[in-house]
Amino acid sequence: MDSWILTLVIFWPLAGALLLLIPRRGDDVAVRNGALFVSVFGFVLTVAAVVQFNRETAGGVSADGFALAAHVPWIVSGDQESATVDIAYRVGVDAISIWLLALTALLSPLAVWSSFTAIRTRVREYYILLLLLQVGLLGVFCARDLLLFYVFFEFTLIPLFFLIGIWGGSERRRAANKFFIYTLAGSVLTFAGIIYVACFAYGATGGTLTLNLATLTELGQGGDIPANVQWWLFLAFAAGFAIKVPLFPFHTWLPLAHTEAPTAGSVILAGVLLKLGTYGFCRLSIPILPDASFELAPVVAVVAIIGIIYTALAAWVQKDVKKLVAYSSVSHLGFCMLGLFSLKVAGVSGGVLYMVNHGLSTGALFLVIGCIYERYHTRNIDEFGGLARKMPWLAFFLVFFTLSSIGLPGLNGFVGEFLVLLGAATSAGTRDGLAPGPLGYGYVIPAALGIILSAVYMLWMCQRVLFGPLKEPPDTPDTSTGLTQDLTRREITILAPIALCCVVLGVYPAPVLNQFEVAIRQNILRSPASMMHTEIGPPDQGFFDVGVESSVSKQTLSTEFDAVVATGPGSRPALNDDPPSVSTVTTARLDGRNTPFETDASMATDSSATDVIGFNGGSGYER
Amino acid sequence: MSVETLTICGIVILLAPLAGAVLSGVLGPRLLRGSTHWLAIGGVGLAFITSLVLMGQVRGAPPDGISETVSVYNWITNGTDAVFRVEFLIDPLTAVMLITVTGVSLLVVMYSRDYMREHGKPERGYERFFAFLALFVFSMCALVLGGNFLLLYLGWEAVGLCSYLLIGFYYDRPAAAAAAKKAFLVNRVGDFGFGLGILLIFLTFGTIEYGAVFHMVQEGVTGSGDPLATGRVTTIALLLLCGACGKSAQLPLHVWLPDAMEGPSPVSALIHAATMVTAGIYMIARCGAIFTASPFAMTVVAVIGAVTALFAATIAITQTDMKRILAYSTVSQLGYMVLGVGVYAADSAIFHLFTHASFKALLFLAAGSVMHAMGGIIDVRQFGGLRKVLPWTFATFLAGSLALAGFPLFSGFFSKDEIIHHALMVHPILGVVGLVTALLTAFYTFRMVFLAFFGRQRVPEGVHPHESGPWMLVPLVVLSIGAIGAGYVGIGADGGVFHRFLTPVFAHTFAAHSPASAGAHGVPVVEHVGFWAHYGLMIISGAIAFVGIFAAYVLYLKEDWLPGLIRSIAPRAHRILWNKYYVDELYDAGLVEPARQTGRVCVGLDDYLIDGLLWLITAIPRAVGYLARTYQSGMLQGYALTMVVGIAIIVLLVFGA
Repeated sequence: MDSWILTLVIFWPLAGALLLLIPRRGDDVAVRNGALFVSVFGFVLTVAAVVQFNRETAGGVSADGFALAAHVPWIVSGDQESATVDIAYRVGVDAISIWLLALTALLSPLAVWSSFTAIRTRVREYYILLLLLQVGLLGVFCARDLLLFYVFFEFTLIPLFFLIGIWGGSERRRAANKFFIYTLAGSVLTFAGIIYVACFAYGATGGTLTLNLATLTELGQGGDIPANVQWWLFLAFAAGFAIKVPLFPFHTWLPLAHTEAPTAGSVILAGVLLKLGTYGFCRLSIPILPDASFELAPVVAVVAIIGIIYTALAAWVQKDVKKLVAYSSVSHLGFCMLGLFSLKVAGVSGGVLYMVNHGLSTGALFLVIGCIYERYHTRNIDEFGGLARKMPWLAFFLVFFTLSSIGLPGLNGFVGEFLVLLGAATSAGTRDGLAPGPLGYGYVIPAALGIILSAVYMLWMCQRVLFGPLKEPPDTPDTSTGLTQDLTRREITILAPIALCCVVLGVYPAPVLNQFEVAIRQNILRSPASMMHTEIGPPDQGFFDVGVESSVSKQTLSTEFDAVVATGPGSRPALNDDPPSVSTVTTARLDGRNTPFETDASMATDSSATDVIGFNGGSGYER
Repeated sequence: MSVETLTICGIVILLAPLAGAVLSGVLGPRLLRGSTHWLAIGGVGLAFITSLVLMGQVRGAPPDGISETVSVYNWITNGTDAVFRVEFLIDPLTAVMLITVTGVSLLVVMYSRDYMREHGKPERGYERFFAFLALFVFSMCALVLGGNFLLLYLGWEAVGLCSYLLIGFYYDRPAAAAAAKKAFLVNRVGDFGFGLGILLIFLTFGTIEYGAVFHMVQEGVTGSGDPLATGRVTTIALLLLCGACGKSAQLPLHVWLPDAMEGPSPVSALIHAATMVTAGIYMIARCGAIFTASPFAMTVVAVIGAVTALFAATIAITQTDMKRILAYSTVSQLGYMVLGVGVYAADSAIFHLFTHASFKALLFLAAGSVMHAMGGIIDVRQFGGLRKVLPWTFATFLAGSLALAGFPLFSGFFSKDEIIHHALMVHPILGVVGLVTALLTAFYTFRMVFLAFFGRQRVPEGVHPHESGPWMLVPLVVLSIGAIGAGYVGIGADGGVFHRFLTPVFAHTFAAHSPASAGAHGVPVVEHVGFWAHYGLMIISGAIAFVGIFAAYVLYLKEDWLPGLIRSIAPRAHRILWNKYYVDELYDAGLVEPARQTGRVCVGLDDYLIDGLLWLITAIPRAVGYLARTYQSGMLQGYALTMVVGIAIIVLLVFGA
């Protein structure tokens, strides 16, 4: 049964953008209010989608783990059953997508509203582009077809290119060019990867050229993609995503783009657009390419950690407040990557929560800096200081979001950060019922240095901006556009909901985390392949062979596994009484070995099994 | 007494101050203004009363003591069944800490009602002050009540935040803003280790709930049932100790506390003397199972404590700012407490924490009263002989000083003696260090007393000293009673009420492992030592206090030319002490500046190396295009020439071969 709510959510801003063509030329007020109405209504629609999602998944998730799905054939040859090309408009969400969707929908009315006084030229075009940008972002999070994903993914570049290039600061053209070419260059490689995936799927599925993410995930998790293919695909995907995240050393476009972008552009850029990269890793690389993800995870983690420290140090010496926050963004997203590539429930849910948290706190920080810039027309930290005295509200919000950003317990940032570190530290364990991951405690130590450094540069910034004797550039603050010295009621209303979300997510994140956990187990990490790879090492393990060769023993194992699952997660023995020793480990092993038979009985053939062990490509998809 | 009662008590203790804080923030600026303090007094007062109720609940416990973990709700899930809950651990240690925290807080909040006014008018930020103060009480209670390491960490960071906000209360003073930032960052360095320790605990035991972890440590198993390696326990203990060093200002992370005196005096009294800084001692005591499982870690704890005690005391001798002297004295006293837990005398350390809370809060508040009277000046070189002018302040300050100096029969005397006593038995050298520190303590304390209150009366110009009003004096008097009498709850044949109350908490950890008790050396040391163990030390340390005070009397009252002489004899020693051993400068030159330089290098790499490489890459197509362009000149002759050359080459290739 198709659900249309997601389609409505995605394309409503497009319809709204068309509505903005109606007002007379020069009627900026109508355009502004119209844009605000459109984005607020978009938020309402998203809330409806969230509600419906929760209702649909209340009694357990649907078979493929996605809800609110819709499917419209797009590029098809042949009829439905025996199509040779099956590329479709497929949308659907799981808990990860729906919360990122909600983040996008929350930030965009705030971004629109925050531009009311800042944007004075080409008002109509500005809001239309902002709404179009939203279409792309919302689309990425909903797409269930790789081509659709890519189309939305790339589409986001165009509106942002113009937003930076037209309404940006003094170096806007260079920034827009650099941003566009940098990210495009990466995603071209991603596109090459996508084409390869399509061809590969053609062989593996027996003659259907499909980019259906469900099918691809199934292939990847079933161990049907040989290791060398996975490697190349991983690198191809990573080229686009790593630049988007951005992962060190591909981050140099971001500080420039952030500094030059108008406030709303920065908010959306930091708040949502960067998440496309991490989301791509999380949605595509990890589930579809489990073996390569497992093997390359240490590399990704090391690069992420270098990035955390490198960019944190770079942030510390910035004079431009906005650039400082931009560098902090890079540093923070390193944590996110570290969590995702711990390949553990804790780490991945921490990473996903980190995306949401970072969107909230960094987005809000850019809003606050925008408020300062509008009044003082400079972002140079040396030119103002001691603003707390005249702007108590601004001081409150800046300190608040700083604290959220540096991971003060009780606010949202901490939960994500802690889970990320926890996931990385316990990655080699099996306590969450999954195969051992690739990372370990050693990765946490340097990463935790980043936590000290984030406090260093953020508090340094706060001290310079807010505290000390009052210092203002001459002829400021500029209140000509109807601003007041301290934040206006509008600005407070923009920032307050974000602050509220920060508190709620910090104090009671458990409901969201529970949803994440379901989605992660079902859609991201159900792969046993990485497990088999490590567990088995040299392919001579007796117990594995038993499982493959004898259908009887396979049956037994499966049954055992079922039993474990049935009694398992709900009622594992309490730790304080009975430390789960061997039994848990055994559970995990069974889990690892049998899930392929569980998930897809037809794949449980010798070929797939040997394939996984030996990585002798080919045989997996030539069946 | 039921679990529900305990849960409700815990929730009330947390929410009352939190509500006070939030309401002060919301209603204060517009509605209440000058009467905002009532919200804080109400919230903290309610927490205090509830703590008393809780104390009563815990007291009526079974013989082996009550230790309840009550769960409130699931906070963070992590994919395993060890969910991180919001839960309270309620036992005698919690109760003692809660009483200390809420009690001192209540007095300080009352004191602040007058202190934060100028000429009867509330200072700017009056409501902000009370909001932060109440928020602090909430955070500290969360730290103490928390039933797992993550809540401990939450409280730990939250008190750090409140400390940050309150040190920087006068934020337009650059020194205050810098001190606030420094406090937060130095604590973050400690928390780096602390956080890693918590992660390692989870990694090892699969849970972070106190009861489960401690049980496993005592059984010597990990979460998966394997035997627990001593090395692992030692690592965990040392990582936790990092956090304690940050929060409790122990070497080498002590540098933030003296600077923290930039905050208003009530803040110094409450946060930077009586409560927050003792969190490290509380944590080590709470984690006794982990620390005592590693003799090496215990030795490290004891050494750090003793060295810090001596180190800070030597600095205190030369300082002239009353609040800074008190700050170094706090560092030194915290060193005693850490030494106490390090020599397996956790109950004595908590006892000292308890007495110290009253007399040090008293000293700070009295110093605040002096400062109030002196128009904000607190340098002892600028005033003197205030005994007559500020009689109440003087009397209460004297009571606090006697307690701090360990004058016989005052509270500090008993608690400090216990620690030194245990230290002498476990690590005799550290015990001697403790005794030397006691001498220095008596000396610098009374140096301050004689300089400020005795001698010729002199005040800074333009200042008309006046005794403070009842809002400030009543807390001073109450705390004086504590400073004089708090010691008597902890003495007696069986250790007194205080020790009996705490016995169940430490029975299986510190007490069981102590080499000083029956265990390690076979013969119980206490009996072995006999008379001297009980009274000899008391006599010695009493004498030491007398000597210290007398020395200060001679140097600063009787023969006041002597200090100058000493300074000129040993100028270098004086300079080193005056500059606090140059630790700040060392950190600046050794850590901060190199890090910033590295940051600049990183920016340079970004701008030149990475972007330069990118420029090179983009230059390739550009260069190709540039070269190719020359052939598209539009000159027919050129095209013709190229064509001829091309044909010639082809011809040569085809026919020449």
